[in-house]
Amino acid sequence: MTKKTSRLFNWINNRLPIVNTFERHLSKHPVPKKVNFWYMFGALASVVLIIQIISGIWLMFGYENTEEGAFASVEYIMRDIEYGWIIRYMHTTGASMFFAVVYLHMFRGLLYGSYHKPRELVWIFGMTIYLVMMAEGFLGYVLPYGQMSYWGAQVIISLFGAIPYIGESLEIWIRGDYYISGATISRFFALHVVALPLILIALVFMHLVALHEVGAGNPEGVDIEKYLDKDGVPLDSVPFFPYKVLNALVAIGIFGIVFSIIMFFFPEGGGYMLELANFEEANPLSTPEHIAPVWYYSPYYAMLRAVPDKLGGLVVMGAAIAILFIVPWLDRSKVASIRYKGILSKIAMTLFVMSWLMLAWLGTVPVTALRTTLSIIGTVIYFAFFLLMPIYTSIEKTKPVPDRL
Amino acid sequence: MKKLILIILLFFSSQAVYSASGAPCGDYGECDDFRPELNNIESLQLGTLTFINHCYGCHSLKYSRWGRIAKDLDIPDEIFTNNLVFGNDIKLGDRMTGSMKLADSESWFGIAPPDLTLVTRLHGSDWVYTYLRTFYEDSSKPYGVNNLVYPGAAMPNVLAELQGQQILSCKDVPVIASNGGVRRDEFGNDITEEKCGYLKTIEGSGTLSEEEFDELIFNLVNFMTYIGEPSRADRERMGWYVILFFIVFTAFSYLLFKEYQKDYH
Repeated sequence: MTKKTSRLFNWINNRLPIVNTFERHLSKHPVPKKVNFWYMFGALASVVLIIQIISGIWLMFGYENTEEGAFASVEYIMRDIEYGWIIRYMHTTGASMFFAVVYLHMFRGLLYGSYHKPRELVWIFGMTIYLVMMAEGFLGYVLPYGQMSYWGAQVIISLFGAIPYIGESLEIWIRGDYYISGATISRFFALHVVALPLILIALVFMHLVALHEVGAGNPEGVDIEKYLDKDGVPLDSVPFFPYKVLNALVAIGIFGIVFSIIMFFFPEGGGYMLELANFEEANPLSTPEHIAPVWYYSPYYAMLRAVPDKLGGLVVMGAAIAILFIVPWLDRSKVASIRYKGILSKIAMTLFVMSWLMLAWLGTVPVTALRTTLSIIGTVIYFAFFLLMPIYTSIEKTKPVPDRL
Repeated sequence: MKKLILIILLFFSSQAVYSASGAPCGDYGECDDFRPELNNIESLQLGTLTFINHCYGCHSLKYSRWGRIAKDLDIPDEIFTNNLVFGNDIKLGDRMTGSMKLADSESWFGIAPPDLTLVTRLHGSDWVYTYLRTFYEDSSKPYGVNNLVYPGAAMPNVLAELQGQQILSCKDVPVIASNGGVRRDEFGNDITEEKCGYLKTIEGSGTLSEEEFDELIFNLVNFMTYIGEPSRADRERMGWYVILFFIVFTAFSYLLFKEYQKDYH
């Protein structure tokens, strides 16, 4: 650096903690040296968040938030705006991929006990992010105002009507009208592009600040803070920059390949990512034969349908998400990682994954008597995994965790 | 891990979202396979011609503009304007909003003919390809025709002149035994039974042969697939370059990662 630029740099640095922040959060931030591919999905989630924000801003250039114009404006983006289709498919593929990486990221948390002391708050911020994402995804799905946007919104908003006493007024308050209309679109638009993204970014920031305070976990569940060098840096760690950044770069490359294959060759995702019925403009007078959510809501939609009573279904669905928040206190195991947990935890985890996948499938197909029974079984297993966790994690025999990574 | 990927791939490839129940193509059963040829400009041009001549009278393509077709399908503006653009005072930048008034069409057909810009995306090209070829004569219906894929369709068979008279007929088919083979009598002859519901075209009643008619419909549906997503050919062409970029990107970042990993391994 020449003298002049270094003086300028110092001038700024004395007023803005550039070097300090860079060192604290990147070049000197210690991360466990040995992690596996499960630890890449957090970085990928932030990449998708950026994709969604940028493509979303570009979509807003052409989107029209009115009842008459919404559907046509999406086709305008697809046809008349140069490369508008890239922007739109990036956003629709991004939505699905956001949930895909976040589900894998959450599963990593369950698998390796990432919520164990002292990372409870990291987990809770993460769960809140997931909750906001679900709302964000739902609001966004209504905006193109196709048949599935309309009828999907109809189903979801009518759920609030099941709440005793306030239900009906709550429905009207959410829609801004007695039925889904232009008023609903414009408020959903405002929430989707301003309110929830702001909350989401704030939560991601908190998630990362809390994570950097307590440090990242590892698949062994080893506490790397036990063995420090003379400078107080964990012996089993490497600085985040450049080592883990390079690691993330490889993951981003592979993710880019998967993302492009879907985006350029299967943008509809077989009707699971862009539902085919949504290629028809919303028509309040004609109900589609089969209303199904996009894949990332389907496990919870299956739970909702498993309960014959609307309010009961809503409570079950809400509880299925809420219970995730208290996982750090449900797990009583001495060890964090599934590698050192006992056979009961392993069986429970396997059953949980199977029931979740089964529910995900059931949520996308029309109801039959057998499928309803399967949904009930899946829901029971899902809840049993969490509710019995304090028991099976405390009675099983765990293996000793090594001292070093 | 490999197994997991395989299972996921199988799951997605075996699933398609069908309407609530029954076969995807109604009484016809499975739809006939349709593979679009979006780089076959000649087929797309012929399809445009068929659409404008036979469909555009009632159906609009309101999300598309005239000029986009001329540009994408290499049709010179002058030839396009003189031969394909319907109506006066239409500019190439205008949307193809149809030539029929909504009130007229509702009083004539009971229901306004739907816009067809996105019909291949909504139902699938397979469905449209099968639908257009499965009209048959049925005197109980207002237009004298019915459709196997979409029974009770409120649409006359506008291509009947080309296709000829298509009727439902019966024929003898072998009886299938419970083991999946053909059932035979004691002399070893196949046992047959009469089954109905097969489409049959009366030979010589139309101006096109069956093959020619199928080709006409192929070109038409090829055009309709194109108009459903005009950027699709571009998308699939560009996709390869983007994927190639990410493969190279991954390879180099992997090498760099391995080099740096030596520091701590």
